[in-house]
Amino acid sequence: MQVKEIFSSQLPVGETLSIKRSRFEPFKKSDNLKRISIVSGTHGDELEGQYAIYLLTSWLSENPDAISGIIDIYPAVNALGIDTITRGFPLYEVDLNRVFPGGEDGFLPGQLVHALVQDVKGSDIAIDIHSSNIFLREIPQIRINKEFSNSTLPLAKELNCDFIWIHDAVTVLEATFSHTMNSLGTKTLVVEMGVGMRVTKEYGKQLLCGMLNLMKKEGIITTEKSFEAREPFLSEVGEVFYLNSPSSGLFVPALDHCAIIKKNEKIGTIVEPLTGTVLDTLYAPNGGILFTLREFPVVYEGSLLARIFGEKDR
Amino acid sequence: MKIVEIAKFTSLNRAPLVIEGYLFEGSDPEAPSVAVVGAMEGKNILPLYTASKLVDFLKNKIQNEDKIKGNILIIPSINSYALNINERFWPLDKTDINMMFPGYELGETTQRIAKKVFDAICGYNYGIILESRDDLSNCIPYVKLFKSGFEDIEGAKTFGFRLISHKELTPIDTVTLQYNWQLWETKAYSIICPNANQIDINSSNEIFEGIVQFLSKNGLIGYKVLNGFESTVATQDEVEIVKAPKSGIFITTRKEGTCVSKDDVIGQIVHSLNGEIIYNFLAPCNGMIVCCYKNGLILEGTLTFRLIGSG
Repeated sequence: MQVKEIFSSQLPVGETLSIKRSRFEPFKKSDNLKRISIVSGTHGDELEGQYAIYLLTSWLSENPDAISGIIDIYPAVNALGIDTITRGFPLYEVDLNRVFPGGEDGFLPGQLVHALVQDVKGSDIAIDIHSSNIFLREIPQIRINKEFSNSTLPLAKELNCDFIWIHDAVTVLEATFSHTMNSLGTKTLVVEMGVGMRVTKEYGKQLLCGMLNLMKKEGIITTEKSFEAREPFLSEVGEVFYLNSPSSGLFVPALDHCAIIKKNEKIGTIVEPLTGTVLDTLYAPNGGILFTLREFPVVYEGSLLARIFGEKDR
Repeated sequence: MKIVEIAKFTSLNRAPLVIEGYLFEGSDPEAPSVAVVGAMEGKNILPLYTASKLVDFLKNKIQNEDKIKGNILIIPSINSYALNINERFWPLDKTDINMMFPGYELGETTQRIAKKVFDAICGYNYGIILESRDDLSNCIPYVKLFKSGFEDIEGAKTFGFRLISHKELTPIDTVTLQYNWQLWETKAYSIICPNANQIDINSSNEIFEGIVQFLSKNGLIGYKVLNGFESTVATQDEVEIVKAPKSGIFITTRKEGTCVSKDDVIGQIVHSLNGEIIYNFLAPCNGMIVCCYKNGLILEGTLTFRLIGSG
């Protein structure tokens, strides 16, 4: 395994910001090896990828003979943000996943993402691991832009996630890592799982199994071990229902994340601690699985509380 | 003048956020109309000040209400929750209201705010958005227009600022107020204000006078003003950039708005521990510094100066 610095910037007082990539490759090198890049930590407050990647690098270190392709690991794109609980690039308050593809002559965050793109470019596959944010808890899922779904959907099914969400093309999302890499010919998948600022161990293990399964199918690892990938449900066979808060207050959920719910089942309440008032009671707009649930309780009118995936009631 | 409530949002513990507009109804039904949008971010001090100064001007200084020809709506503050605690974006989820347009009434909080604001300002002939740069630099006041196909360069010249930045449209720009306002057939212009935490009177006066000149030249007010500059329209290709090859303490020796000659020393980097000057920034061309990094500490690779060349 080799560690390489892909971007660096001296900080003002005796410190260097360094973005690193570790590479795992077979002992016997040859041309035309397949390459996969695993990227995480673009948002400094999303840490689920840290654990999933740790599990992967640990597995690869223990099974060097299984490596038959190139596996590049970029655990901390926003390294400074991760170490300082800052979602965006510190100082600039910029969401790095909205400044792709960046450029050498752009502002500093743009230079950083440009360096990442240049390094990942040429990979056959890329996986970008996110953890929702600090507000919402998500089941392990893959987000796919419809524009690229022909090439990415078959790969997504191998990743052992619960849900594959194929969304329409949105212009603003062209500034993301996944759109940039897909446009450059690298089949890129976005994983969303868990919640910001925390690690969910079972999700990390679930994704590890999926990444190994995908790599085995693609010939990037060769091993007798088998990795089961669960059958995900696809967004195209149902509908996603959103539940936004009708008022500002404290959200108290009545259900657990991932619950299978019926239409009109109580999802939670918005309360006011000062007076003991229940401001609103929320009910499911549709039956299905509660695949997104608000984790951070303070809400404003409009704050997303939950998402349900289910068949539309007739 | 009347005050109109554009939006009201409650909070768990804070007083409600109320977005108000100051509406000056014009005396000439044939005259065009304009809406002015002030602080969308909590660090938009100059946009807030300029918009409020404009309210004062129209209400108290213009002397004769008949001089106001067309309808003028001014919204000095949209994000007072952020202004009041020196946050840049929406304080809870840190989203940027100026990335939520045209808004969505059933969406997240900032999408709902954007929707209510957008509903209030749609249909005006002209739109002026007071913004700050989104990087860590100060600039001379200028008009920013995206190359969207809807932009109005000739109208932008009537502000009389020295510079109009004619910028390539990027995907992220498609959710800004300027782009969406233009899409809905308002001639919209972003005025980029310096990024300071304190009011710089000179910049403030320049921006204020530019807006008054715009209102006058476009028939919104009957008010005689001195002409401003004949604006230079510059694309990104015409901007010379200077990056910091080292990190340390940054001292600018020539500020934005200064004309320089090639190889003039325009700034220095001092080693942050031993105090030695470790780098002198030299002007790459004859011209004017239009933007300058504003912090005292600088990172390696920082885009430090932007100049428009002359000669």
